[in-house]
Amino acid sequence: MRRAPWVLAGTVAGLFGILSFRSSPQKITLSTLPTTSAPATASTPASGSPSGATVGPAAPTTSTASGGVVSATGPLVNYFYGVLSVRVTAASGHITKIAIASLSDGAYAYSHYVDSVSLPMLIKQAMAAQSAKIQGVSGASYTSAGFAQSLQGALSSLKLS
Amino acid sequence: MSSAGHRRVEAMGTTVTLDLFGEGLDGVVDTLAARAAATLRQIDRTFSTYREDSPLSRLRRGAATLAEMPPEVPRVLDACREAHRLSGGWFDPWHLPGGVDPTGYVKGWAAGRALEELRHPQVVGALVNAAGDLASFGDLDGEPFRIGIADPGNPGALIGVVALTGALATSGTAEQSGHLIDPFAHTATARAVSASVSGPDPGLCDALATALAVGGAEVLARLEALEGYDGLIIDAGGSWRATTGFPWVESPPARLSR
Repeated sequence: MRRAPWVLAGTVAGLFGILSFRSSPQKITLSTLPTTSAPATASTPASGSPSGATVGPAAPTTSTASGGVVSATGPLVNYFYGVLSVRVTAASGHITKIAIASLSDGAYAYSHYVDSVSLPMLIKQAMAAQSAKIQGVSGASYTSAGFAQSLQGALSSLKLS
Repeated sequence: MSSAGHRRVEAMGTTVTLDLFGEGLDGVVDTLAARAAATLRQIDRTFSTYREDSPLSRLRRGAATLAEMPPEVPRVLDACREAHRLSGGWFDPWHLPGGVDPTGYVKGWAAGRALEELRHPQVVGALVNAAGDLASFGDLDGEPFRIGIADPGNPGALIGVVALTGALATSGTAEQSGHLIDPFAHTATARAVSASVSGPDPGLCDALATALAVGGAEVLARLEALEGYDGLIIDAGGSWRATTGFPWVESPPARLSR
């Protein structure tokens, strides 16, 4: 008889899993992807309210720039090491830019890592997801529920998802 | 093009997203999403290992017997027993520290339970994503849902895209300094960094993905022989190996040598 394997299963909360490379598994999601049902035109949303069954502490805000380019900032979301929000810019129904709108990460030692490494990774992943015209991502590491939640708020208010 | 409804539920320590596709859904999305959310939260209350007062936590520490559990607990444990058998022992909720822990099955199973709450005559397709464990029915304008598989060694990229056929789950294993710990030999070894399983049953996909992540090629061979299920393992360098029927839409170039 073989011994039982150490089967670990868990979910990552916030960015902690990305930052520490600890030896526990992380299931992930970039649960907030733009879908193929994105509208062909970038109309200005009438309201910035997210459509989630539960909403974050602050409603997203939207704005319109020239040339049909719209942008929205997702709700402020608590993650393990602080509070962040994500800003999305879109043109003709497609995301052109994802950025961190605000980041309050306290005095934690990982703050620098958050700023310089993890968030750029998440932004890049979100952009890759859009270009593949997919409805979701399945993966085992490198994501953040907080990032995903704020991004979703921004996408919802732009009606991109 | 179908109109879509997207909702988010905080449950089981993560964010679960619900996507509904169909015409004229405005009046029903909130009702269906609320039902799915209630189901997820009820499952969370029953199966959470983080809540000391959950029925499962009481069972784990011996404060309650199986006979005192809500009926879904023995049902889930029966399903885990089947997953244990199908995985050749690599999925084993009974030999974990702290007592029986079916978490490796429950998240996928919960996604499937939430999905059932989204059934409605106007909903032609629905997708539940519980932190990487996906459950679905129907389609998107006649085409299967497309799901990206994250490249574990290259966080900015997807390693490929699959056509969703029911459920898809992905698990990662304990990884440190580029090595995985072999649970049997207690030595560092290179197995899958990321393991995905597709198939009809979301809970079984979750359990088998967990098994595949630790068991590697041995479990992949079992999946090859298991009707309706397919598997993919990816190493840190982005090389991969999959069962012959794995539902790629866009497959990656770098294949692991056999």
